[in-house]
Amino acid sequence: MYAFDIKRPRSVEEAVAALADGEAQALGGGQTLIPTLRQRLADPGTLVSLSGIAELKYVRMEGDVLRIGGGTTHAQVAREAAAHYPALASLAGRIGDPAVRNRGTIGGSLANNDPSACYPAGALGSNATVVTGAREIAADDFFQGLFETALDEGEIVTEVRFPVPEAARYEKFIQPASRFALVAVFVARFAGGVRVAVTGASESGVFRWAEAEAALAADFTPEVVRGLTVQAEGMIGDLHGSAEYRAHLVGVITRRAVEGALA
Amino acid sequence: MSVGRPIPHDAAVLHVTGTARYVDDIPAPHDTLHLCFGLSDTACGEIVAMDLAAVRSAPGVVAVLAAEDLPNSADTSPSAHDEPLLATGRVHHMGQPLFLAIANSHLAARKAVRRASVEIREEPAILSIDDALAADSRFEEGPRFYRKGDANRAIAAAPHRLEGRIEIGGQEHFYLEGQAALALPQEGGDMVVHTSSQHPTEIQHKVADALGLPMAAVRVEVRRMGGGFGGKESQANALAVACAVAARVTGRPCRMRYDRDDDMVITGKRHDFRIDYRAGYDDDGRIRGIEFRQFARCGWSQDLSLPVADRAMLHADNAYLLDDVTIESHRLKTNTQSATAFRGFGGPQGMVGIERVMDEIAHALGCDPVKVRRANYYADAAPGDAAPAPAPLDDGRDAPADTHADLTSRGTTETRGQPAPPPSGAQTTPYHMAVEDFVLGEMTERLVESADYRGRREQVRAWNAGNEILKRGLALTPVKFGISFTLTHLNQAGALVHVYQDGSVHLNHGGTEMGQGLFRKVSQVAAHRFGVPLERIRITATDTGKVPNTSATAASSGSDLNGMAVKAACDTIRDRIARLIAERHQARAADVRFGGDRVHVGGESYGWEEAVRLAYENRVSLSATGFYKTPKLEWDRIAGRGRPFFYFAQGVAATEVVIDTLTGENRILRTDILHDCGASLNPAVDMGQIEGGFVQGAGWLTTEELVWTDKGRLATHAPSTYKIPACSDRPRVSNVSLWDGRNREDTIYRSKAVGEPPLMLAISVLMALSDACAACGPHYPALDAPATPERVLAAVRRAREGAR
Ligand SMILES: Cc1cc2nc3c(=O)[nH]c(=O)nc-3n(C[C@H](O)[C@H](O)[C@H](O)COP(=O)(O)OP(=O)(O)OC[C@H]3O[C@@H](n4cnc5c(N)ncnc54)[C@H](O)[C@@H]3O)c2cc1C
Repeated sequence: MYAFDIKRPRSVEEAVAALADGEAQALGGGQTLIPTLRQRLADPGTLVSLSGIAELKYVRMEGDVLRIGGGTTHAQVAREAAAHYPALASLAGRIGDPAVRNRGTIGGSLANNDPSACYPAGALGSNATVVTGAREIAADDFFQGLFETALDEGEIVTEVRFPVPEAARYEKFIQPASRFALVAVFVARFAGGVRVAVTGASESGVFRWAEAEAALAADFTPEVVRGLTVQAEGMIGDLHGSAEYRAHLVGVITRRAVEGALA
Repeated sequence: MSVGRPIPHDAAVLHVTGTARYVDDIPAPHDTLHLCFGLSDTACGEIVAMDLAAVRSAPGVVAVLAAEDLPNSADTSPSAHDEPLLATGRVHHMGQPLFLAIANSHLAARKAVRRASVEIREEPAILSIDDALAADSRFEEGPRFYRKGDANRAIAAAPHRLEGRIEIGGQEHFYLEGQAALALPQEGGDMVVHTSSQHPTEIQHKVADALGLPMAAVRVEVRRMGGGFGGKESQANALAVACAVAARVTGRPCRMRYDRDDDMVITGKRHDFRIDYRAGYDDDGRIRGIEFRQFARCGWSQDLSLPVADRAMLHADNAYLLDDVTIESHRLKTNTQSATAFRGFGGPQGMVGIERVMDEIAHALGCDPVKVRRANYYADAAPGDAAPAPAPLDDGRDAPADTHADLTSRGTTETRGQPAPPPSGAQTTPYHMAVEDFVLGEMTERLVESADYRGRREQVRAWNAGNEILKRGLALTPVKFGISFTLTHLNQAGALVHVYQDGSVHLNHGGTEMGQGLFRKVSQVAAHRFGVPLERIRITATDTGKVPNTSATAASSGSDLNGMAVKAACDTIRDRIARLIAERHQARAADVRFGGDRVHVGGESYGWEEAVRLAYENRVSLSATGFYKTPKLEWDRIAGRGRPFFYFAQGVAATEVVIDTLTGENRILRTDILHDCGASLNPAVDMGQIEGGFVQGAGWLTTEELVWTDKGRLATHAPSTYKIPACSDRPRVSNVSLWDGRNREDTIYRSKAVGEPPLMLAISVLMALSDACAACGPHYPALDAPATPERVLAAVRRAREGAR
């Protein structure tokens, strides 16, 4: 770890001000950033901890939209979203282990956009809107490839708005050692259509599987996915699984997700 | 009666309360220094430049040593002298220690080594079995052969033939306590070393050699290890030698422990194997002739690879009588970690080979695999069949003059005279040893009944007929594992027992405790000999100053050897006390009995303490050593002939699994085990070894996958990428029972060794997975290990579509 200063703002306003300095970086739960610092893969002059900002921590329904504060931990979402959006609560409840869930935050997970992370699939699959101090970004525009997002330097995720679908399910095939997703799929059926978001599989991060969405919009049953395949090309091939295996799993896990959504 | 009782592990309470002391918990003097190796980031090449100035100037660093700075050329190999402590000119694997930082704290040492600037001219590395074969990179001059009959002719003449290949992955030991050592310099240059090692005498020898001292100037102590599994036989040498050398150079105590990632990257693992087979068989599935070609990836140094590969050959028959057989073994040298001992020591790999063949024959004939296995079993020993009289041992051999040779290492190779041929008409192994104690026929019959194998075979069939996606599989596999070190002279042990004036007993022997319960078993033997409660027996750390020239606690031999040595020592003292008491009562010493914490003679008795006090006052020595050597062993490893084993430990397991044919995910549903511990010294400890061994074996064959990059970097060097079984991975239903036999050989209370054999019960998991895959289509699935979901899925495809 390189040396750094730490600031503990009490409000979003203070945090934004603190982050205006180009050397500063936001610290959420630190579940990704701290290991990165320890490996000296990042050298921020100042860390701006968001964990002391009460106004970033909430889960509440407004109309038919579930709003989650950018600093809300996975554990809080797992607990408090269950009544409103069970599929999302279930996603949050299966991230990592209790230690990770009690520290890691939704804002940190989305901002990080790890290709094997869970929330990007939840947000993209739900057609969520990512809110920052400055603007609102549709999930379709937010994720821009491996560890890349639409966020500008110093921009903080203050809220994520999830339209609640009629039916949804997050199905996660884990890599057994780390319990990260080897392939995971978030399926959501809305009145206006179906969204299928896949994480863990693609070399360019979370993506929507358009073919499956179209088929499922016409007939929301697992069977319609059976004939569909994704190309192995562009899939991640690594020590935990080949590109071909991941491509195969996308189909199977999508079907399972549809089954789960129907159950 | 303390022998045969299910008494908990002596340190169980200490373990679960966190008060058991491991090497790194030992309080050390305030000026103790901490060590860390700088490692090679290249698998193969020449060291062009190594600039350690920045390491030397790092905060907290006291000294930095490279190979040329060592007082003597320090070697850490178990026997072949091919493992310099620090690289000399060339590097042979990624993770090889290049230099040693000595600092005020563990963290300072770790930070310092990162500052090195090392330039290595990279050369193409030999990583895979194919690479090694192409380059003819191997240990020994060529392959080894064991032969019986004429395999080639028998295969040609057989009604059916098959041939195939199985790839079997390696395994990381993943002892919970990592490697650790602490060296305390003494006056006059002597050294005391605390180490987490299964082989204190080897540590003593290597440290003495590295310091240029006689062995008598080095004392090594091991209280316990937090798991060893073979990974602390030769692999503990480097840390102990490094600490001792650093202590010599600095004059201060030195300690070292590997961080987990370093541990995984530096130390050797179970050998991965490829086994090619060709078999001829008849309509009943009986093998007429068979050939195995075993390829072992040994890594960069010889380590214990020769005896490991030997043991793979020695278990290529497992439980099956093979009349015409050839086993060919290639020991390949690669630029990877030096593969080493791991529970089973090559036996498991050899056994997987023939179990695969049994499975494939049953598949080809469309008959039940248990039937095929039974058709090939050795014949059971007739009940009450007396063991032949022990052969005389030739003790008059000349000792080799080479003082550098570590005679107590399993890596030492010896050639011996002509072993006597087996009795004519005896059923023999492929290495011409008579099999006289086979009980698997009856054990299998018992397990088939108790596990309801036939009924469940029908249930599995019905399930598979009615389910497209989830398929079940069932398999029953036997284990016949040879007990003894194959290097005959290692089959000896010593003990030291003191009885103090107050009646308390200090017990010491050459075996080490690594959680397996050896100390508990041996203390039961001591309590039993003296007829006193266990509480009187004080178990003490293994110490080369108390019992010298010990063998590694390995080859499952710990209780067999040390139990006997302790018995001998106790009996010496007991007989002295008996003589004294007998004299006082004009009785015969043989009529004095020890039991119930008393010493009985005629109608009278003395309390134990009183008897001991009397002995002391009458100037009777209350201290004795004990010694034991295993009888009957004769082995010529080059010819592949003789009797390398005293007896066979046996077991049988039936496992049911379920697979998801869409993803290859799988679970163990149920396991039934019947295992032979002879007359168990401690059924609770033995059950623990059986369950633990099974789960560890299941991990090896299913989830534990080692992956190296194409540059030779071990990509799976932490638990975040390498999956060992957890509690939740055990079978949901597990029925373990002990076979109620006695060892027909004269072992300690007729018990049998239990350390390694149960690991191989897990081969039933691999075969059950194969059975489930086979339920998906007409072709043989040829499932490799570890059977990860991806491999299972590929096997399902092969079953459906045939080999690609
Ligand atoms: C053992 C382990 C297992 C895990 N398993 C899973 C898993 O199964 N699935 C999964 O999805 N994840 C998993 N994770 C990752 C975990 O969910 C992280 O918590 C998450 O990815 C990052 O959230 P954080 O709040 O800890 O962010 P931090 O680590 O603090 O920050 C990550 C990045 O986000 C930025 N950031 C943080 N908060 C904000 C914000 N509000 N606005 C803008 N930028 C911000 C930081 O500057 C940094 O660049 C695991 C982590 C660990 C250690």
